[in-house]
Amino acid sequence: MQNKLTNLKEDLKKNQIEIMLYPSKCDGCESEGFAACIKACEVHMSKKFGSKYAGARINIKKKAGRFFPIICHNCEEAPCVDACMPGARYKDTESGWTVTNYKKCVGCWMCVMTCPFGAIERIGAGHFASKCDGCIDESMPKCVEACKKGALKRIGIKNYSYERRLMVAKKIYGPYIKSVEKR
Amino acid sequence: MKYVIIGNSYAGLSCADAIRRFDKSGDVVIISDENYRAYARPLISYYLEGKTTDETIWYKEDDYYEKNNFKLMLGKKAVSVDTASKKVVLEDGAEIYYDKLFIGSGGTPFVPPTEGFNPDSPMMGTFTKFDDAKKMEKAAKFAKNKEAIVVGGGLIGLKASEGLRALGLHVTIVELLPRVLGLALDEISGNITSKRLNENGIDTATGETVTKINLDGAGNPESVILKSGKILKADIVVVGVGVRPNVGFLEGSGIKIDRGIIVDKTMMTSVKDVYAGGDAAVIYDILNKRPNIIAIVPLACEEGRVAGTNMAGVYREYPGGMGLNSVEIYGLPIVTIGLTNPSNESQKVYMFQDENVYRKLVYDGEVLVGAILLGDISGSGILSAVIRQGLKCLKYKDEFLNGNIYSFVIDSEFEIYNINEGYAVRGDFEDLPEFSRTNWR
Repeated sequence: MQNKLTNLKEDLKKNQIEIMLYPSKCDGCESEGFAACIKACEVHMSKKFGSKYAGARINIKKKAGRFFPIICHNCEEAPCVDACMPGARYKDTESGWTVTNYKKCVGCWMCVMTCPFGAIERIGAGHFASKCDGCIDESMPKCVEACKKGALKRIGIKNYSYERRLMVAKKIYGPYIKSVEKR
Repeated sequence: MKYVIIGNSYAGLSCADAIRRFDKSGDVVIISDENYRAYARPLISYYLEGKTTDETIWYKEDDYYEKNNFKLMLGKKAVSVDTASKKVVLEDGAEIYYDKLFIGSGGTPFVPPTEGFNPDSPMMGTFTKFDDAKKMEKAAKFAKNKEAIVVGGGLIGLKASEGLRALGLHVTIVELLPRVLGLALDEISGNITSKRLNENGIDTATGETVTKINLDGAGNPESVILKSGKILKADIVVVGVGVRPNVGFLEGSGIKIDRGIIVDKTMMTSVKDVYAGGDAAVIYDILNKRPNIIAIVPLACEEGRVAGTNMAGVYREYPGGMGLNSVEIYGLPIVTIGLTNPSNESQKVYMFQDENVYRKLVYDGEVLVGAILLGDISGSGILSAVIRQGLKCLKYKDEFLNGNIYSFVIDSEFEIYNINEGYAVRGDFEDLPEFSRTNWR
């Protein structure tokens, strides 16, 4: 891993940071009884935003034995920013992340209605829409830190696109690669 | 290059942002007939409730205009556009020349002809502007009998009545259709919503209209007479029937208008270098498959962005939009997406209802074309993405109805990540040593 992505550190320093998902590695932490990423996020959010805007910004959904972490995918032209009526959600120009000013959020649920990943949660009691902010002011997102399975990784935008391309390549040339490996 | 933008709200600002993204040096002039910098227009009802305040109602940060080098002209009403000599004429006679013009003039409230309605009275008015909210806040203090009448049971009317109710008034909604939110909701969900309103001190008079407003000596309302002959006491009358595109000032400019401003795929009007978007524009409705005016915030931003990109010289097309809306009424979240009431026989309806939750899906063949979610709206964004893209998803029908909307995302994401197929190497790309940055191409 390290020797392959030689400029990882540089990339992290210079470029926008993304959280990469490897859903095949996620097992929902079923044996532990609680998901490590959710727990870590909960703790960190209540520390960061106070008890009023607490609650995990990551969620794990299960279907037929497969787990998928539901987290903000940080769209380039985010529908939640378009839909936000009070202007609470905006693009942070420095980090490139879509972040939320919870003081402005009134709970109209327009963003919940438009997020194609279902990554925004309606908190009815607190009357706000909670969304991952990528832990932009931390050195490492807390969910990534907590995940021991390797299902979440922090990565620079260049490597992120590189890995996504690899995945697509693998999908198209997968059988070919396997035959090469065998030989 | 000089860009002029008429309208200082969602479409206009989104257009200005898009221009600034591609053109860092061009002059951008934003004209607004109001005296405030951009504020969150749909939030004026929350202002009455106290959920947003004078500090938080502003749409952008304080230094937004200076930082982006936008010239803001407040309190200037554009009265005509001369497309031949490329200028906008303002109310005070000033002329502003443009190279590219964007019209995001939005809508003006529509008032059905009602005897006695007088918008100049401090106790009567429409409900679309910040000034309207401030007027109603004052009016509520002077209301003697604490009775208010809201004409119109759409989103504007509903939010206005919620705001007035929070000011301590007893509110009656008078709606022409047989239920509140009549165009978006069906009978069951409309009844649930009405019940929730009635529990919280808002009465609904459906299938009714106000025929006459009785005035007192000072010209303020005293009572209203309904179509059925009923007389209701009223200190305040708010008309929130709907909005019509604000296009009156474009008369004689040569811009083609049919209800709203007609635009092509690049959001350009029939006149070159003049673009339009937002509530004033007629865009392509991908579900009804015809041009339509869809006055919602997300589409206004999208249209503004596409127009701005084209104005800055980068070609971009707008694929069209669809109607969708979300509102919360006293703790009951409501999301309506697309065609919620089937319009022909080929469309099939599937419903789920229990104590707190109501879900309705409208399928056209295998394609989902509409949905209503009441009570539990988690994952509704997935449905709106599915509807907008016209994906075939009849096999997910039961899961959607039971609230497992996420199962669609899990399936499609696993397909993208390619890890449920037999040939993929479990453990992702790290197990493929042949691939590296050097031999990638």
